[in-house]
Amino acid sequence: MADAVSHDEVADLLALEAVGALEPSERDGMERHLASCAACRHTADEYAELASLLPAALEVVPPPARLRRNLMAQVYAEATASPTVPWWRRLIDAIPASRTFTVVGAAAVIAAIAFGIWGATGRTNLPQPPATISYSVSGTTATGTLDVPAGGTPAVLMVNGLQSLPITKTYEVWLIPPQGSPKGVAFLSPSPAVGGWVAVVPGSLAGYKSLAATVEPAGGSPTPSNTEVLSGQLTAS
Amino acid sequence: MHLSDDDIVRSISASPEGIEALYDRYGGLAHTVALRILSDRGAAEDVVQESFLAVWRRGSTFQSGRGSLRSWICTIVRNRAIDRLRGDRHRTRLDTPIEGESLEPAVSDPWAAVALELSGEEVRKALAELPPEQRQTIELAYYGGYSQSEIATAMEVPLGTVKGRVRIALDKLRASLADRVETPWQTQ
Repeated sequence: MADAVSHDEVADLLALEAVGALEPSERDGMERHLASCAACRHTADEYAELASLLPAALEVVPPPARLRRNLMAQVYAEATASPTVPWWRRLIDAIPASRTFTVVGAAAVIAAIAFGIWGATGRTNLPQPPATISYSVSGTTATGTLDVPAGGTPAVLMVNGLQSLPITKTYEVWLIPPQGSPKGVAFLSPSPAVGGWVAVVPGSLAGYKSLAATVEPAGGSPTPSNTEVLSGQLTAS
Repeated sequence: MHLSDDDIVRSISASPEGIEALYDRYGGLAHTVALRILSDRGAAEDVVQESFLAVWRRGSTFQSGRGSLRSWICTIVRNRAIDRLRGDRHRTRLDTPIEGESLEPAVSDPWAAVALELSGEEVRKALAELPPEQRQTIELAYYGGYSQSEIATAMEVPLGTVKGRVRIALDKLRASLADRVETPWQTQ
């Protein structure tokens, strides 16, 4: 062994490292040893996995439903904010750049390819951009859109102009049928990625005439308990 | 349709549904880990959300042959929860690449098999077989975020005793858990 730390001493340190108790001052010596000792690297792997098994012994405490709703609202909002690159953009990007082949030239080639395909396929098979229907929503201070993708779900509500709320409150989103009670479907979450508030509205919008949001206690309410901070009709404009 | 862990891993970065599937399978355990460490429902929810968002934003570096998906997500959550517990404002894990978080319990294939086969009950039994002082030592470290010297102070024992307890506890767990599942790892 090339260094001054023995395998046995390193095993003690590896065990401490696995459970997160290693002192920073002892890390360098351990890492120097690991760099040249495959057997101890193997031990490190085993201890790390053993420590990571510890949570399996805990009795699972189910998280509240709002956690899943808030997480997925954020994920879907970010997915929507970074849509798939359009087909024509991918084609342009695939053309090698050169001093003599300008973007205009590239566009001309793309147009030629596109029209060629169009002509050869009976003018029916060109890739089409996804059809998204947008509904406007607004309130005293807020404006936004509800974007419904071609597939119908999930719709994503993006809003600007809402004020921050204390931790005890939340913006709850409601779908309102022509008759009957509003249905709470989502919570708006602040999203730095899109610079506003977002919510994913799951399920079909069919059968609902409008959408609204109200301030409710954190965790939501069975029915709206405050006036609307924004609303919008779910009819094509 | 039942998705395997491998199916989930493959879809994590491809679509929101991948994260949804990961959360549906391990969100409960992740929440439990965060709550165990932080003892605060709001903070635990924040940590779980941050952890899954980090996986979504950064993509998965998980390798199925080198550990279990369960251990991997628990490690992410545990790291973030301990950071929050310590109030370490110098490191902002949200901005740290996942690759830097020791998120891959780098293990040999046999141990990946062990991890996948073990149930919570088996791990509980193995932990229950440890002497109380050994179990308490690893729990103070793993769930409390205490360092070796902090544990020595808290338990009023020498540093060397803490070292020994942790290592002996892990060695006993290794032996005990390996006995509970049929894997070839002992012959490796």
